[in-house]
Amino acid sequence: MPTISHAGLVISGLILCLSTAIAKAQVDVVVAARSPITQLSKDQVADIFLGKTSRFPDGSQAVPIDQIEGAAVRDEFYREFADKSPAQIKAHWSKIIFTGRGQPPREVSNSIELKKLIANNPHAIGYIEQSQVDDSVKVLLEK
Amino acid sequence: MNGFGRVSHKFACFVLLVMALSPCGARAADSTPSMFSFNGFGTAGLVHSSEKQADYTSSIVKPNGAGYSHAWSADVDSLLGAQVTANLTPQLSAVLQVIAEQNYDNTYRPHVEWANIGYQLTPEFTVRVGRTVLPTFLFSGTRKVAYTYPWVRPPAEIYGRVPVTSSDGVDARYRFHTGDFTHAVQANYGGSEQSLPGGGGTVKAERAWGITYTVDYHATTVHLAYQRTTLTLESVKPIFDGFRLFGPQGIAIADQYDAQNKPMSIMAAGATYDPGKYFVTAEWGRTKSRSFLGKGTGWYASGGYRFGKFTPYITYARATADNLSDPGLNLTTVPLFLVGTAAGLNAALNSILSQKVVQNTLSVGGRWELTQSTAFKLQYDHTDIGAGSPGVLTNLQPGFQRGGKVNVISATIDWVF
Repeated sequence: MPTISHAGLVISGLILCLSTAIAKAQVDVVVAARSPITQLSKDQVADIFLGKTSRFPDGSQAVPIDQIEGAAVRDEFYREFADKSPAQIKAHWSKIIFTGRGQPPREVSNSIELKKLIANNPHAIGYIEQSQVDDSVKVLLEK
Repeated sequence: MNGFGRVSHKFACFVLLVMALSPCGARAADSTPSMFSFNGFGTAGLVHSSEKQADYTSSIVKPNGAGYSHAWSADVDSLLGAQVTANLTPQLSAVLQVIAEQNYDNTYRPHVEWANIGYQLTPEFTVRVGRTVLPTFLFSGTRKVAYTYPWVRPPAEIYGRVPVTSSDGVDARYRFHTGDFTHAVQANYGGSEQSLPGGGGTVKAERAWGITYTVDYHATTVHLAYQRTTLTLESVKPIFDGFRLFGPQGIAIADQYDAQNKPMSIMAAGATYDPGKYFVTAEWGRTKSRSFLGKGTGWYASGGYRFGKFTPYITYARATADNLSDPGLNLTTVPLFLVGTAAGLNAALNSILSQKVVQNTLSVGGRWELTQSTAFKLQYDHTDIGAGSPGVLTNLQPGFQRGGKVNVISATIDWVF
């Protein structure tokens, strides 16, 4: 019995490691290299992108930049940070738009454009594929 | 049409004018979206009801629907909406939303649903002037945008309670955070007027005010609302003018039931938990009025599970109301030559009292995501109507039996863009 449960623990541990590694491998949340922000929790990131707040935890203005609808990195970002499917994101923003309470974040067509925007704006926050990360942006750590 | 209609029409024109005249030129361009946004939504639906002696429809404002008038009715849910939003400055914005749907007079003439100008005093505090939809229940603000909720339509047991859904006036919202909680407090003041079908005249709401509180915490949203208004239904006035001619007992009846400048209050509480894979939602609401509308309570509970693009759901809803009848004038105490008149008034009073909704409904349905902004929904409702009540059915025919059972099938396609 002890060996079996031990083996089970190792296997489930392995699966857990694999699944976090896969999730982490996809998307990084980025800000300008000169932004004072260094880390945010998943919920804080989700609140900014879902329009629940327009500020970073330190009180400074936060301007989220979205990837274009249908982009794999966008779907992965919302699945990981907000537990929401593309349809749920669409419904969420429809509720805000059609009550006149706001508009969704500005969209860019790819990660290169997003990095350009982020690099020039200390208030901006976005997300890109991990493979796209370079010195022009700073990857936020998860709090 | 009427005073309020003209005022709101003028205001809608004013909103458009503000949008048109505002300078479209230089803006601090980067990362601010363009000044104008155009959005739209719609529903194409078909509904079938098992009750052939009355019409099933989605609102007291609609003159007919499925059952008696049509075997399959497209009028119950179908609509088209268009909206233009202008962000004139980072603080100043204007919204105009127009909807075409079956009106009280059976036309599809578009009407203004939202027309307001908003000013953001701080990022947390916004004031709006113009027409807004009252945020009475969880889904009130976008009840016409069916894409935003899982069902074909929000349960009538709650959403059908309130004859007043919009306000021409002012509202203010303050939003703040404590830890992971996002709070929003909204206050509104205004009035509205709505025409009813079938010679029902108008429902006028004056000096309407309300306060709502919404809190979000992770996947949980809780919504509380209190609304109060002074209600007038001109069409029932002749009945109570008649009662008042019958001395103290007639006056007492008229005072209890007439609908001239009568206060009406709505209390509502709702909560939804939606962690992504599934959702559960429940709402409760109570209306109270010293008029023939009396007291009524409604609630529902609903849940659904998301299997990828398919979300099956189930809802149970219940509506109750106080006295559906009244003995009226005591015919033995009125002069003989007025007995006929008194009996007629008693019948008229009981006819309006017996319109109240008492029913419970079990609904099962499914939502399929067809594209990123289109959903198909199929829903089956089994409604058990309370004794003496027509439920939400309208356009009652002579052969209609109160307190029966009705089955309704609805299929809709909802979209947003």
